[in-house]
Amino acid sequence: MRDVRSLILLLVSLLLVLVSFILIWTWGYRFYNKNDEFKVAAKIVITDSNALANRIRDSLQKIYNETLYKLDTQLDSTLLDSDSLKKQLDVRLKEFFRLSDEITAILNRRNNNYADFNVAKKKIDELKTKAEDLRVKNQIVDTENKKLNTILEQEKKSENGPEKNIKQGNVENNVQGEQPNPAFTVFAASELRLSAITINDDKESETSFAGQTNKLVGAFTVTNNNIQANNVEMVVVVMQPDGRILKNSEWESGSFNTAEGKKIYSYKTSFTYSKGEPKRLLFSLKTDKYQKGNYTMQVYYNGMMIGKILKTLS
Amino acid sequence: MYCCLKSFCLTVAVMVFITIPLCAQNRYIKKYENSLVFAGIEVGSKGVKMSLVEIEKTAFQNGAFNVMKDTTVNTDFISFTQPTYQATLNALNGLYDMAIKEYSIPADHVFTAISSGVNIQAVKENKQNWLDQLINAFRFNFNEPERKVSVIDVKEEARLSHLGIVPDSRRFNTFLIDIGSGNTKGGYFPNGNTRDFKLFQLSWGTKSTGNAAEKRLETDNSLENYSNALIRILNGVENSEIVYAINESGSYSMSDNIAFSGGIAWSLATLMYPELINNSVVPVTYDEVVGFNEKLLKNYATLSDYYVIKTSADKNMDMEVIEKEVKRVNQVFDHKSLMAGTGLLLKIMRQFESVYERKKFYLVKNGAVGWITAYVNQRSAN
Repeated sequence: MRDVRSLILLLVSLLLVLVSFILIWTWGYRFYNKNDEFKVAAKIVITDSNALANRIRDSLQKIYNETLYKLDTQLDSTLLDSDSLKKQLDVRLKEFFRLSDEITAILNRRNNNYADFNVAKKKIDELKTKAEDLRVKNQIVDTENKKLNTILEQEKKSENGPEKNIKQGNVENNVQGEQPNPAFTVFAASELRLSAITINDDKESETSFAGQTNKLVGAFTVTNNNIQANNVEMVVVVMQPDGRILKNSEWESGSFNTAEGKKIYSYKTSFTYSKGEPKRLLFSLKTDKYQKGNYTMQVYYNGMMIGKILKTLS
Repeated sequence: MYCCLKSFCLTVAVMVFITIPLCAQNRYIKKYENSLVFAGIEVGSKGVKMSLVEIEKTAFQNGAFNVMKDTTVNTDFISFTQPTYQATLNALNGLYDMAIKEYSIPADHVFTAISSGVNIQAVKENKQNWLDQLINAFRFNFNEPERKVSVIDVKEEARLSHLGIVPDSRRFNTFLIDIGSGNTKGGYFPNGNTRDFKLFQLSWGTKSTGNAAEKRLETDNSLENYSNALIRILNGVENSEIVYAINESGSYSMSDNIAFSGGIAWSLATLMYPELINNSVVPVTYDEVVGFNEKLLKNYATLSDYYVIKTSADKNMDMEVIEKEVKRVNQVFDHKSLMAGTGLLLKIMRQFESVYERKKFYLVKNGAVGWITAYVNQRSAN
């Protein structure tokens, strides 16, 4: 019994030694490939989110235009086909009625001979062929009509599509957050301001240099003539030149829902609002180091952007 | 032969477990320009944990000290058996050695402590001599007879957690609650100083709540039956303990912010806000947790790493990191554990929900390194 346990322990030990070797090999392999990983990571980091979004939007626009062009071409060709079919039909109908008239004339003649009857018989056969031809053409016209209707319906759907998507997005937003009637949700943001402040001997003054900046101070006024509410939440997003969100501390940051998805905010405030009152809101953001470039401040209410301003630090 | 093999096996196992974190990452990157790096090694109930903490002068004003590394070796010390004792000692020695040699941290910047959970269990089982033996063996191994290895009590651990997790700017208006697996503890500073600490305790945690619900299932193991059993258990817990404990703590009127730490807080923060993967703290509302609880019941599949990544709107986020962390959450907490933890969290949150006054709730992700970080900071200041 003890031998069996010893054997099991020996096997476990060997297994552990094997695991150690695998781990060391994995570590070595990862160390060897570390430079490649950094390259990949660097590629991800330098990706400009706006450029990426624009590229995606442009490519989508291109696809949409191409699809529309294709549909238009298809519709035009179908219309042309339809027109040509109509002309053909008219010609065939004329021939049909001409033959029909000729046969009637022959049959109505009193002094008909055998040859005349042969001619009439031939013409009747020709009439039959024409009638069959017309029937086939009629079927083709029907099919083309159906195709035309299908294309028209598709085009209608593609026109209504984005609208429907927006509606669905709103419904989702309503479920996730407290979204009152959209007609009353829009606050107007005005007098937006984002200033870089430098502090010298406890005195604050505005600067345009990133190196001198001690904090960023933002201000904006919101007004709404439709609602009076106890808990109005305004969200501010301040984006740094590198595309990252500027935050005071993790305790003051979070995320919120927009039509484009979740976004991270820099500052959030709640207040009681009286109808029509111009409410001035202020905030400040501090970080260790301020980058040179463009800072974007966006003001959101209920997931909708109601104001935007750009500040450049050199 | 058998004993030799047993010791050999144990040693190899400990070596492997120490090799894993070593292989994973043996270097760290500093966040601050002027900072010092300290190491805190904690002997906990489940294992030995080492945290490398980077501390800058202003770090405790904005609560943003940098935890550079967090390594754990599972040893199950509180079993108080010879193999687990040996494994714990080996892990303690190994991690200390790693801090000194691998990370080049001076010995006076490495702090060692034994957590309250270990101390409570040792007292309960009359095994305090095991702690003394462990401390002496550790000192002997490194020839440091004067090395301080503090045994922390539960109140001090909760106080240090508050100091380590909550920033100074929110020190006196934040009630910190750590929902553990077997119990819940926390508290706040009622008198405007960091000496007086009001301790809050519950005998229920994520695991114990889940276990109690499991016991009520009898033959029907369905999720619906588990959910019903959980509701009954949690109602009982709320009426018998939570309401009383919260009222007794007097925290309602003293706290504007209620912060939750512990495994369940980490998992909810990760699953609910994958876009805030880099934040150690995320704000949350009661309604959002209610929504998450409903999702757990009706749409659990949407919490898989695959679905979370698929539905993330901002593709510029670090999807690899998010995927890894969501996967880790789903490995640590299964469906039922998530339900139990979320249910307990909601019962506690409910005590702070009012029509008249709104408290701000936060989920803390790095709670595990909270107290040891504060301990390191406190000792480094001395």
